[in-house]
Amino acid sequence: MSQHTKDSQKEVKVEDLLRLKRAERPDDAFWGEFDEELHQRMLQTLVKKDPLHLQIWRTLSGRLTQSVGVACAAAFLALMVVRPVFIGTTSADLPVAQIDNSALTSTSVVEVAISDLDVSSIEADHDYSIEGISPNVESSDERFTRDFGMEGFELAMDADYSSDEASMRPSFGSAGVATTLVY
Amino acid sequence: MATSGSVTESIFPAQEAQVSDRDLDWAVVQKVQSGNVGAYDQLVQKYREKIFSVVYNMTSNREDAADLTQETFIKAFQAIARFKGKSSFFTWIYRIAINTTMTFLKKRSRRRFISYENIDEEVSNSEIFERLTAKNQTEKGALVNELQEKLNDALQKLSLKHRTVVILHEIEGLEHAEIAEITKTSVGTVRSRLHYAKQQLQGYLKDYLG
Repeated sequence: MSQHTKDSQKEVKVEDLLRLKRAERPDDAFWGEFDEELHQRMLQTLVKKDPLHLQIWRTLSGRLTQSVGVACAAAFLALMVVRPVFIGTTSADLPVAQIDNSALTSTSVVEVAISDLDVSSIEADHDYSIEGISPNVESSDERFTRDFGMEGFELAMDADYSSDEASMRPSFGSAGVATTLVY
Repeated sequence: MATSGSVTESIFPAQEAQVSDRDLDWAVVQKVQSGNVGAYDQLVQKYREKIFSVVYNMTSNREDAADLTQETFIKAFQAIARFKGKSSFFTWIYRIAINTTMTFLKKRSRRRFISYENIDEEVSNSEIFERLTAKNQTEKGALVNELQEKLNDALQKLSLKHRTVVILHEIEGLEHAEIAEITKTSVGTVRSRLHYAKQQLQGYLKDYLG
């Protein structure tokens, strides 16, 4: 009895009160129900579809990949179709305004362009005769020589433009693809 | 979890048990990772009561606690393939439980009706209740219910961070270092939060103290 009185007089601390919370426990029936629910939920999780936002994202990303693929294919086809058209285009049809004339003003550049010309490819063009464009032509006709000079200049422009255009073609193609890829 | 009786265990019981527990848990985790899904049930059976207790004391609602405990085990199961064993499974699952509960409590805009678990009769006959009954001159049954309500109320008044620390230390009996690892803070922070939380609780429960 005296022991009981002595214990009762001990101070009660916060820690003592909090330890009482350890005794708040569910019964066995609760755990039976808990286990059953947990197993059900775990099975549901295993077979459950992804959340809506994930499904939307997957669909969109799939379509985006598909679109990019189609765009690339279209760009490639376009390149294949457009390329022969550009090859068959005469110099008169091509936009002369885009030529960098400053690069052609030098005489030496003109001469090199003429000397590099593939004569066989020009043969079909009736506007220019082989003699007319050959730098080795020897003619006593002064007027012809002056004309040749002018024609040669024009031809040099054409030749130069052709080569630029030829080198531009792939870059145009690739730029097109790049643009498609960006979209 | 039963551990083999040995001399070392009798000298360093807590440490030995912890090391052994960690190894045993890791072995089970590896089983689950290798495709033995059924082995996960061992971990559920081992930790469900501890996890439930933490969540219940944080929410003061038995239905929410049951739901969140299940959610914790489901999340852990989904992420177990990524668990590398750097920390113990115990620390890892406690962290998941606390994060899940904190997210839930932050989202819960208004306080829900509080539903309590029953207190064991053994405890209601304990020394502390004897003292409280003598001090307050109240009938024991009424005092148990009243104190349970006051304790839960007081815990709910604490901030989430302070509540977590006080629950893990005073109710679950975890060491400061373990709490620091679970909450990803320093031991100093844990001590400081614990000190502050106890001060707050002393104020709320002053009628029962002394």
